[in-house]
Amino acid sequence: MEIVNKRTLDEIDSVLEFAKLGRDEIKSVTQSIYFSEQLDSEGIKLLELDTAVLTALENGERVIIRGDKEDSAVLCTESETFEVKLGEVSNALLIVPDMTLGSELTDTLLPSIQYQQVNSVMHTFYELRKMKPRLQKLRSLLEENPYAGQAAEGDVDHQGTKYTFNELLNLVQGSEREIKIALEKMQAIVIDGYWRVLDFDFLVQVMSHLLQLCDENSWLDQGIPIQECLSVLQDIFPRTVIEHVLKNFADKITPATGKDDDEKHMQIDIDYYRLNEDKVCRFFAEQILKHARKFNLSQFLSTWEKSVPDGMKTSVSQLEGIALIDRDSNPEVISYMTVDTLPEEISERFNHLFRIREKWSLPEITPYIKDLTTDKMDVTAMLTKYARASTLNGIKVYNSRKPIS
Amino acid sequence: MIELQGTLETRNPIPFSGRFIGDLHFTHKDVPILIIGHHILYGKVVTLEKPYGILVKDAEVTDRAPGAGQTSYTIRAVIRKKLLFKTRPKPIIANVPKKV
Repeated sequence: MEIVNKRTLDEIDSVLEFAKLGRDEIKSVTQSIYFSEQLDSEGIKLLELDTAVLTALENGERVIIRGDKEDSAVLCTESETFEVKLGEVSNALLIVPDMTLGSELTDTLLPSIQYQQVNSVMHTFYELRKMKPRLQKLRSLLEENPYAGQAAEGDVDHQGTKYTFNELLNLVQGSEREIKIALEKMQAIVIDGYWRVLDFDFLVQVMSHLLQLCDENSWLDQGIPIQECLSVLQDIFPRTVIEHVLKNFADKITPATGKDDDEKHMQIDIDYYRLNEDKVCRFFAEQILKHARKFNLSQFLSTWEKSVPDGMKTSVSQLEGIALIDRDSNPEVISYMTVDTLPEEISERFNHLFRIREKWSLPEITPYIKDLTTDKMDVTAMLTKYARASTLNGIKVYNSRKPIS
Repeated sequence: MIELQGTLETRNPIPFSGRFIGDLHFTHKDVPILIIGHHILYGKVVTLEKPYGILVKDAEVTDRAPGAGQTSYTIRAVIRKKLLFKTRPKPIIANVPKKV
């Protein structure tokens, strides 16, 4: 370390005398602090490290700061997302790399000097605030080019960009794990290395083939033997698509443990899926609702009941999160509304919901806000903060806290 | 890290680099004492609730995949404690006659 005119013990002692600080009151080692010759306060940044981030770093996890020019920056560990904000302090923060704390000083018999340097003087730092990842972009990216079957891939409507997982990671402000979970929720599928969402009409085609096959083979009761099903349908649709549809609309049946006859034993090795009634009925509801958006409720309910496969029963609970029922209008109506088209930001979400309908009951509003819950704020807390409760006809309802424009 | 209330100034406009700031002492109870110019400041050791990472930008790598434009930072150090000097500095009166 190049220090010109190094401070001496004499100089230190004379200052101690002026300061009326006795040598007996202090430890023997004095650290004389200088500004470094290479004082640089622009070249470094201070980042306040949340426990989760520090642990991630200590475990050698990748920690990435992401953001387009339009978005603000976010920091992502492998599983969490944080907003990065610039904080200012009025105090000066001096960075002294080799400074020793009193508790670390070895007391020597005679007074001694350690020379220390300040490398930077900081007045700003970056702080992290945990946030929900901004996932709406993920959906809009994937909807640029939904998969509508191999034949359609070549046509003019399907020349949009396709994205690999890494490309999505670079474009979406969220951690790897959060993005993976979102992809599963939106029932995205990997085809030829690219993440895609299935075009709805295409999905309808796949389902109708599947249901027809089930009907012909009485598989709705017994369960669908997966290999047999795949071998028939894979001529029409890619295997991955069929498997994907089964995974999302059916449940794997655990084979019965060896019971009676040997014949049954032979079948234990075959994987079976049973179609999930709620998911299939919900799918049929969506088909109907997407076409007309708003329906007379009783007409809808009867059309729906007739459309689902024999043996399956419809129920209004299956419509949670995809439809809004207005029982105050005459006649009662039902309209198509899914949570993925709603604003991501919480106060905007509430504004939007209250603009659609003035008063909501708890079961009505919950499906449209529960995706915004965090460990600090559950549905009840959200409603307390963003809505006003009142009672209407004995039922607790929520409306806006402020006039809606 | 040393945190000081206010800022450091020099009497004349001279560059800071290389200049002496002050002496840092510790009492036997590990209380830090900083003497800067004509002031004596008493401080305390504070453990940071959220440690600071010191980030240094890595040299730019230009031959990356197109559209990535990646910049990376390395965390050189993690600061877990600081010396906080908040109490008002006590001025040292120079040339006090020595006790006889």
